[in-house]
Amino acid sequence: MNPALIAGIVAGAVMSGTSLLYATLGEIVGERAGIVNLGLEGIMLIGAAIGFAATALTGSPYLGIAAAAIAGAAANLIFAYVVVSRRANQLAAGLSLMFFGIGLSALIGRPFVGALISGLPRLSVPGLAPGGIGARLLSYDSLVYLALPTALLTWWLIFRTRWGLSLRTVGESPAAAFAAGLSPELVRYQALAFAGLLGGIAGAHMSIALTLTWAEGMTAGRGFIAIALVIFAKWNPLWAIAGALLFGGAEGLQLQLQAAGADVSPFIMNMTPYLLTLLVLILWGWRRQSAAPAALGRTFVGVE
Amino acid sequence: MTRSIIATVCAALLAAFAAGPVAAQDKPSLTVGAIYVGSVNDYGYNRAMKDGLEEMKRNIPGLKLIEAENVPESAESERVMEGMIQQGTKLIFATSFGHQQFAFNLAKAHPDVYFEHAGGWMQAPNFGNFFGATQAAWYPMGVAAGKMTKSNTLGFVVGVPIGYALGNVNAFEMGARSVNPAAQTRVVVTGGWSDKAKEAAAANALIDQGADIVTMHVDSPATIIQAAASRNAYAIGFQSIEAAQLAPKFWITGLGFTWGQFMTETAKSVMAGTFKPAMVRQGLGQGMMAVAPFGSAVPPDVRTLVTASADRVGQGFNPFTGPVTDNTGVVRIPAGQAWGGEQMGNFDWYVEGVIGKAK
Repeated sequence: MNPALIAGIVAGAVMSGTSLLYATLGEIVGERAGIVNLGLEGIMLIGAAIGFAATALTGSPYLGIAAAAIAGAAANLIFAYVVVSRRANQLAAGLSLMFFGIGLSALIGRPFVGALISGLPRLSVPGLAPGGIGARLLSYDSLVYLALPTALLTWWLIFRTRWGLSLRTVGESPAAAFAAGLSPELVRYQALAFAGLLGGIAGAHMSIALTLTWAEGMTAGRGFIAIALVIFAKWNPLWAIAGALLFGGAEGLQLQLQAAGADVSPFIMNMTPYLLTLLVLILWGWRRQSAAPAALGRTFVGVE
Repeated sequence: MTRSIIATVCAALLAAFAAGPVAAQDKPSLTVGAIYVGSVNDYGYNRAMKDGLEEMKRNIPGLKLIEAENVPESAESERVMEGMIQQGTKLIFATSFGHQQFAFNLAKAHPDVYFEHAGGWMQAPNFGNFFGATQAAWYPMGVAAGKMTKSNTLGFVVGVPIGYALGNVNAFEMGARSVNPAAQTRVVVTGGWSDKAKEAAAANALIDQGADIVTMHVDSPATIIQAAASRNAYAIGFQSIEAAQLAPKFWITGLGFTWGQFMTETAKSVMAGTFKPAMVRQGLGQGMMAVAPFGSAVPPDVRTLVTASADRVGQGFNPFTGPVTDNTGVVRIPAGQAWGGEQMGNFDWYVEGVIGKAK
């Protein structure tokens, strides 16, 4: 292993893990309120398309991120209305949201295919030689640097604030939360708005920082990987950091190994991230799960 | 799924246009339909198709062009083309490989409508096909890269490792070595023709391993060219000759499809009633392939060398003339033999100098 290879694997894991982390953190908050959102992929695509469009129109990637976050939250509030107020089945509503997101993002992104943007600027640690390993390891966009604080903030929000206590109570037992004077509906709306915000940012990172392109369906299933990561992280934002790096790294690893000339078939190489996913789920499966919110996926029909 | 939704919308729009009043306009000299699998603004394959069709439109006065983007490679495409026929279309260009069967079905049902399909093999009295012969055309791209590299390491991102794509890589490396025996090409396969995040990561991985020039065989070169530029690496484009504007400072040259002349001649043959179905494959110097303009970083002597190499390929030079050795030392094309035509799809090995495993 040469140093450039290791630096490349780490930098690649951080870059592609970032959008996974934002998406996973959002989904954790939603699931802590008892709502499974299978539409995350659609939310990410809406974020990617609107973020890219807003960046192309205004010339500011920061406005692009803001637009993506707002759009993600708005789309997730539609989902909240369907599953919380209309009490629809969460799995069906989530899949509908995904298809809605795929279609809407294609529609919004269409005029912006091929648009040129100057993406989110990279901030380097000063004094590092350009092109060197240090510069490769410490030259990221601001969303990468903000990902870790966001994870810590989310952890603090869930486990150290009054709102987090309400959130967890609603996720464990909406009826008990209601009896304690909370409004499960309101808490769930808030949680899903927060989840949509982060999901939108996750998508925007892919289009504005990672690829500088909008292409239909460009999240390519990463929304679903994020949902799997929630289980891997045991609904804990701190574990999500490790999970996002691991899964982000798996994809980068095989591309790096190919570039380094590893004597392995490219067909096997392209399977490695999924093999790793299976392996992790198998190993994780041996432990009894008790971290899942008790009311996850159940429709709360009220107590009257 | 998305594409089928969009195609349905497109089909509905087409139907609406068909029903609308058209009497105000003069009757077009010929109505031509075109379906694209993606967006024509991709700086890649679909852009190259669009440019060819626009050239045809400019060349033939009164020609009406009806287009539909994002048409999936499914039965939806048949409905979209049917809608075009309802509007009086007499010639249809089905531009993606997977459109072949659906276009062929329509050709049988509408013997008075002519079809041209890109990249396939099917034939009927009103159905022909065409494509650029890319492999040998990559040789001059290698010459450019071999002269421009300072690290003697070139990067090649391949979407799906089909034989034709590996042939492109091989000709590229052979061209590079013809001017720089130390030049090596590292290959990364992403596993899809359009996975943007992987393409960006692949370009970065190649640059990590020392590549100072990156090229690609994927649908759209946009992501890879921009990822390379963000790390001060140069790019050689493929598919559309317009890709230079993605990163003018880091652009060397590119290989693009130029179908305008063929499309013009085909349209004229339909108007004259002399359409002849054929399987047309043309490379550099024959009309369907061209070398893109050079970037400002390319010095005059390199430009001369690349142009001369392209001319040589145009005059029939075949890089796959034996002896050709693969990167494990096995002679794959013996002395006295040469690969050409259909054999370009048979590559499951890389030539000497390529770092990578083909299968």
